[in-house]
Amino acid sequence: MFKNPRVTSLVVASALGLAFTVSAHAEGKLSIYAWADSIAPDVVAKFEKETGIDVTVDAFSSNEDLLTKLQAGSSGYDIVTPSQHFVKIMIDSGLLEDIGASSMAAYQQILPEWQKPWWDPTGNYSIPLAFGNAGYTVNRDVYKGPVDSWKTYFEPPAELQGKIASLAQPDEVISAAQNYLGIKYCSEDPQEMKRVLDLLQAQKPYVAAYSSDNIENRIGGGEVGAHFWWDGNSMRVRRNDKANVEYAMPKEGLVGWLDSYVVPKGAANIDNAKKFIDFMAEIDNATDEYNYYGHSSPVQIDEAKALYSKENAPELFPTVPVKMGEACSPAAQELVTKVWTQLLQ
Amino acid sequence: MKPSARKPNWNVLGLLPAHLIMVLTLIIPIGIIIVVSFSTRGPYGGFEYVFTTAPYKQLLFNEGWTGELEFNPQYLIVVARTLVLSAVTTSICLLLSFPVAYFIALRRPTIKVLLIYLVTLPFWVSMIVRVYSWIIILGKDGVIEKTLRGVGLVDNMGSLLFGNTAMLVGLVYSYIPLMILPIFASIEKLDPALIEASHDLYGNRLITLRRVILPLTRPGMIAGAILVFVPSLGAVLEPTLLGGGKTMMMGNLIQLQFGGARNWPLGAAIAIVLMAAVMIFLVFQGLRSMRIEGLERAS
Repeated sequence: MFKNPRVTSLVVASALGLAFTVSAHAEGKLSIYAWADSIAPDVVAKFEKETGIDVTVDAFSSNEDLLTKLQAGSSGYDIVTPSQHFVKIMIDSGLLEDIGASSMAAYQQILPEWQKPWWDPTGNYSIPLAFGNAGYTVNRDVYKGPVDSWKTYFEPPAELQGKIASLAQPDEVISAAQNYLGIKYCSEDPQEMKRVLDLLQAQKPYVAAYSSDNIENRIGGGEVGAHFWWDGNSMRVRRNDKANVEYAMPKEGLVGWLDSYVVPKGAANIDNAKKFIDFMAEIDNATDEYNYYGHSSPVQIDEAKALYSKENAPELFPTVPVKMGEACSPAAQELVTKVWTQLLQ
Repeated sequence: MKPSARKPNWNVLGLLPAHLIMVLTLIIPIGIIIVVSFSTRGPYGGFEYVFTTAPYKQLLFNEGWTGELEFNPQYLIVVARTLVLSAVTTSICLLLSFPVAYFIALRRPTIKVLLIYLVTLPFWVSMIVRVYSWIIILGKDGVIEKTLRGVGLVDNMGSLLFGNTAMLVGLVYSYIPLMILPIFASIEKLDPALIEASHDLYGNRLITLRRVILPLTRPGMIAGAILVFVPSLGAVLEPTLLGGGKTMMMGNLIQLQFGGARNWPLGAAIAIVLMAAVMIFLVFQGLRSMRIEGLERAS
């Protein structure tokens, strides 16, 4: 997913792995590569003050960007924060350092349902940071109708035609279409995926843009009436910018995600990385982080100090099924790519 | 006789830094891309050093929905669209730049310096910021819509964003200084006596423009056309941010292969094809301008 990316790192050269990353390998340093605006700056400053470790935080805007960077080798980062299916791919590809996560202090803070999940069954590699889901947000100044189904998004009514926006990458959009069509994720059946393509192609004439950048302005300002988006981002625009938006609860199901702290293979400052991960999981810091990021916390937080509740942030408490995104086999991923290429060819 | 025949040639040593930079930053990276384009893709991205020509075959042939290998022009369509849009961008830049460059070239020296400085001013600002600013100009309740509504020309117009028009506006805006500067340089070198001579020979303004000014400033126009056409081919920001990403350009296609598609070799193969297209274009232009110069010398 592409949470709140402000600026896309679109330079092909970096994708080719030709860019030289200047990294901090000296003592007392920590380089973090995380989703844009995902780590609370106040908490980072507190960590720096308490430990004397110099922290730099860079931002990425898609799991694919992050994976490409790690595969290209020597990223120079000590902590990265991929989503669940990419954690699995990175573990399987040997891109991550075994940090013995299950024996760290942070591990004791993880809520039971998120311990040793399918993407990290031994619990050696990852400590969760935040979770949420992908769905769509409507601007209520533009569209007044029902938002209880993906039908509104994929087969839009007249008010929304030409005022729909999708994401620039297929990952979650195709999963959402699969929820709507009742097809399982990562299908390897070409006929099923052809149905996904047909649905997206029928939607395309009504789509204004396929873009993962600048979403908050596009949907908040009413440039489009419906936008593929994430729960916490939609909540923040509604609360902070007073935008008249509503996060849909499609009965066919939202697409779930969970981002984790992991350490890339060969990281220079593994001890500092573990210190930081433990620090972030301490209950006060986790609460501050939750209040800043606005996505659900998979570690224990101080409910008394938490800003968001069912009443003031219904986005974070879905009333419909949430199906976690899966790590597709190469064959299934090939079909996903084929759908997307033919859609935008 | 060349001096190098008798003395040791120090030029080679003197140029060594330049050669090193060329090899390190140009030849080796292109070599890497070529190697990747002939490698086997890894299951989750990346690549393995196993020789294959599959990426190049994939450019034309793909498994269809029934699982059979069939000819598929999907990538060719993207290539063709990229070429057409780049050509249109170049043409618009050329049409707009010539009068501007001519105007600047005829000003007083101080004003000339100021105007040239203004033309280059956008380069001081990040490309992303400049493209983003067009979102504010073209978007809903943007500068254009507000102005038109203010003077009562429109009531409620649709968004100007997202589409080929917005993308072309962005491309032309981004690259037009690269067209103005070389044309300006060639107009400035133009000897005013030649224009007077043309008038003396009863050439009217149109004939003077067509037979004297345009042929003599053609090298500048060719240089400008190359400087605009080549980066347009690889443009990624404008199609994504202003075009709305509804149809892919080659840059987007390459990005998709390295990202979501996890097919680095195919991405590298497309990059090589893009580069080859640029090279062919440059060689063609080079031959043309050599022929033009040859003609001028002969006449």
